[in-house]
Amino acid sequence: MTKEWKGIMTFTEQRFGRIEEVSLELLGGARKLAEKSGGDVSTLLIGRDVKNLARELIAYGADKVFIVEHPLLTYYQSDIYARIFADIVQKQKPNIVLVGATSIGMDLAPRVAAKLRTGLSAHVVKLEIGDDGLLRQIVPGFGGNVMAVVTCPEKRPQMATVRPGVLKKLKKDELRKGEIIELEVKVGEEELKARTLEMRIEPPPELPIEKAEIVVAGGWGICDKECFNMLKELAKLLGGAVGGTRPVLDEDLIKEDQMIGQSGKTIAPKVYIGFGISGEMHHVVGILDADTIIAVNIDPKAPIFDFVDYGVVGDAKEILPRLIKKLKEKLEKKRG
Amino acid sequence: MSKGFQIVVCIKQVPDPRYLSKITIDPVTKTIRRENVPAVINPLDKNALEEALRIRERFGGKVVAISMGPPQAERVCRDALAMGADEAILLCDKALAGSDTLATAYALSLAIKKLGNFDMVFCGNETVDGSTAQVPPQLAEFLEVPHVTRVRKIISVNGSEMIIERTIEYGYMKVKVKLPAVIAVTKDINEPRLPTVSAILKCYKKEIVKWTASDIGASPQYVGLEGSPTKVTDVFSPEVKRRREIFEGPVDEEIEWLIEKLHESGVI
Amino acid sequence: MEFKLTPEQEMLRDTAREFAEKEVEPRVEEIERTRKISKDLIKKLFDLGFGGLIIPEEYGGSGAGHLARAIVLEEIAYSCPALAFTLQIVHLGQAPLVFYGSEEQKKKWLPDLAKGKLIASCAVTEPTGGSDVLGIKTFAKKENNEYVISGRKCFITNVHLANIHGVLAKSGEDPRHMTFFMIEGDRPGVKPGREENKMGLHGCNTGELVLDNVRVPVENVVGTEGKGLRVALTAITNVGRMGVAATAVGIMRRCLDEAVKFASQRVLYGQPISKLQAIQWLVSDIYLRYESARLLLHRAAWMIDQGIRADAEVGMVKWAATEGAVECASKLSSVLGGYGIMEEYVAQRLIRDAYVLVPSAGTNEIMRSVISRKAFERVT
Repeated sequence: MTKEWKGIMTFTEQRFGRIEEVSLELLGGARKLAEKSGGDVSTLLIGRDVKNLARELIAYGADKVFIVEHPLLTYYQSDIYARIFADIVQKQKPNIVLVGATSIGMDLAPRVAAKLRTGLSAHVVKLEIGDDGLLRQIVPGFGGNVMAVVTCPEKRPQMATVRPGVLKKLKKDELRKGEIIELEVKVGEEELKARTLEMRIEPPPELPIEKAEIVVAGGWGICDKECFNMLKELAKLLGGAVGGTRPVLDEDLIKEDQMIGQSGKTIAPKVYIGFGISGEMHHVVGILDADTIIAVNIDPKAPIFDFVDYGVVGDAKEILPRLIKKLKEKLEKKRG
Repeated sequence: MSKGFQIVVCIKQVPDPRYLSKITIDPVTKTIRRENVPAVINPLDKNALEEALRIRERFGGKVVAISMGPPQAERVCRDALAMGADEAILLCDKALAGSDTLATAYALSLAIKKLGNFDMVFCGNETVDGSTAQVPPQLAEFLEVPHVTRVRKIISVNGSEMIIERTIEYGYMKVKVKLPAVIAVTKDINEPRLPTVSAILKCYKKEIVKWTASDIGASPQYVGLEGSPTKVTDVFSPEVKRRREIFEGPVDEEIEWLIEKLHESGVI
Repeated sequence: MEFKLTPEQEMLRDTAREFAEKEVEPRVEEIERTRKISKDLIKKLFDLGFGGLIIPEEYGGSGAGHLARAIVLEEIAYSCPALAFTLQIVHLGQAPLVFYGSEEQKKKWLPDLAKGKLIASCAVTEPTGGSDVLGIKTFAKKENNEYVISGRKCFITNVHLANIHGVLAKSGEDPRHMTFFMIEGDRPGVKPGREENKMGLHGCNTGELVLDNVRVPVENVVGTEGKGLRVALTAITNVGRMGVAATAVGIMRRCLDEAVKFASQRVLYGQPISKLQAIQWLVSDIYLRYESARLLLHRAAWMIDQGIRADAEVGMVKWAATEGAVECASKLSSVLGGYGIMEEYVAQRLIRDAYVLVPSAGTNEIMRSVISRKAFERVT
């Protein structure tokens, strides 16, 4: 009966011995949901030599950390991770299971849901407990043009994958108390039917601006070579393509196929970030279909701010170098 | 013993992704209105089909396309034949309508089992409508075979296993997978061929095999709305307006705020 | 009577459209600038079977027919009228053999023409006669089992792309005694001449063809000696004029989409200009011209596929479509306002491309003469 299932379990994703940011967010989100749904917040961590990460998970909100360690499990191994995950869910019977919607989470969660014959919703953008006690999972469909509310009324657990950045991680509390439970799991080579041989970081390929998911553009406000080089550096850091407006093209800082606007390219990236761009209509029409528009401009009255999701009023020439510095620090830490 | 590989490709008819913004919600009936939007074969399914055809060209064998959908999905079966699939099957039954990914994976697995032995099942990694990317791993679970998703390259194939590259954030993984397996591909894997004029004319002369839920031995409680543990309780149009969150302050705070927003937007 | 494409025709249209978007559109700017279409793009057309649309299956084509051809040409012309026109002249070069070739000739040449191993021009016009076709001076003198042919042709599209030429020549004392020949490009005396520079359709090759005492065997006569005019006119009517019309229809649809796109985005007086009646009327004019030409095109193509003589109907669509394309391109420019005359915008290219279609495969004045003939003869 569904009443037996209590609490929220998350999956903690680790790569190269570091916890993925989204996993910490899941714990924060789970804690918030648990306020209404009740029960413990637990998390599953699989890998090799990962015990040391358990404390951090407790500090970010886990009541229980289930750890499975084995030399064969350094990298994500779909068969075994899925088996272990499904087993522990069946034993612990959490009401809700959350997994990060990452390249690994989206590979793992569906298989686990199928093993459990339960419902799973994908890359939710919002989670809340309804008045009927069910988890309301809000998901985008049709390229984001339609939003749907999904529930899993009968089967348990109610599973969802959550996009990074959707839930908020808690403030780290080193004094939080929690339980660390090491699980003994038998793992055999013959079970590895999809065996990860290696995992590598690589620089993203150069994409034409209309194919890039992230576009960093510069305008009149950063129209000199030095500044624009910083913009290019930022783009490289973020794995994005470089674009610009007419004045920047006229200064030979970009090529013709990088110009965005009515007489240039129309783009629809996931994220557009404009520096020193005032937001004249003939440029803006080229970016209206971007998922997220971010802009930095020194003039609070710049028309671009009518079209942004996020805007910063400031001097792009000042912000760029410091932003790059800060990002480098964060990304070096993350990528190892 | 037949030479080469027996390959199945799962294909789906979806709204043309270029016109997704024309899809609306009827505010009264709460249904999705997509009459204005032409339907096409899911773009990544073409990549899946192309990869299957290339394997057949290299090693020999047979490529069978399967689609679960309404009667008009016959068109994507024809698209598959025109591209070069040997056979195409349409799994079409009112009882299957309203299936979520679990029920869909269950039905597809029964259809594939009905076909007999298979070496590979190719799928597009996700479809443009739901974009869940859940069917391939769930299908693999029902078929009791391994799966790999986000495959951007097949490095090698021999009779019993395949080495592939799959994309992860900022990099890739190399995976050795034992056949038979389910392989979900991304658009980086190949450039799908266009059908020739002759192939287009001929594909309408071939028969599309049609199966119902009972043909594949589907239990009613595992398919359709009944067989779907997830239920859609509401649909609505998202806020089209931009957030217009503007921040002004000391430079260091602006940088922190900016970084936070970059993270929320999925950039970092 | 169904006003719907068959499923095969829809799939063909979708495929041609995808080809135009993926393979043609990215190259249009380069083609316009360099005035050259690369050989590999032409090869792609043949690989997909677009080269063999009007050649029957038994001779290596797809037998898809003239309506299929109209559909494909419209899709390609949407992105690049120059490429569409090049392709349509490829078909024109095949047409004399398709309609009048002997069994041996069909077996000998059509398979290679379908594959693109052979590309044929259709050389009829001369400085002394185009509309007045009886004014041509190229002469084929019979000597035993050969003809010796001399003359000069002009305004011949694909003359430098072709390796075999279809030539109409006078062959007797009576000015109407003309014979149509297939002349291989490597015969001594065959000299493609200078390239002629058109104001539009850049990338599409047009030029002169000089024939200097070229010896051609009787086996190369298409149809009957003395009856060559009918061969040329059938090819030009059913294939040449239809191809011009289909290209024009593609241009018109492009004008419609560009006008709608621009008007929906351009904000003046505080709203998109698509809300202004003046703009709405310009757009609806374009829409009407496009729809009516397209319907005429499909009707004429259907008639040709049915084997029904369609001279007047083809004349109607060639006239309506080409004048329509000029009007649509001009109105698109109006919708764009000042931007309409700027080189970076597509309107100016569409205007120039449309203009080149007007006198192609027969002037529109000739079309009206052809149409009026039927007007006075028709019964119902």
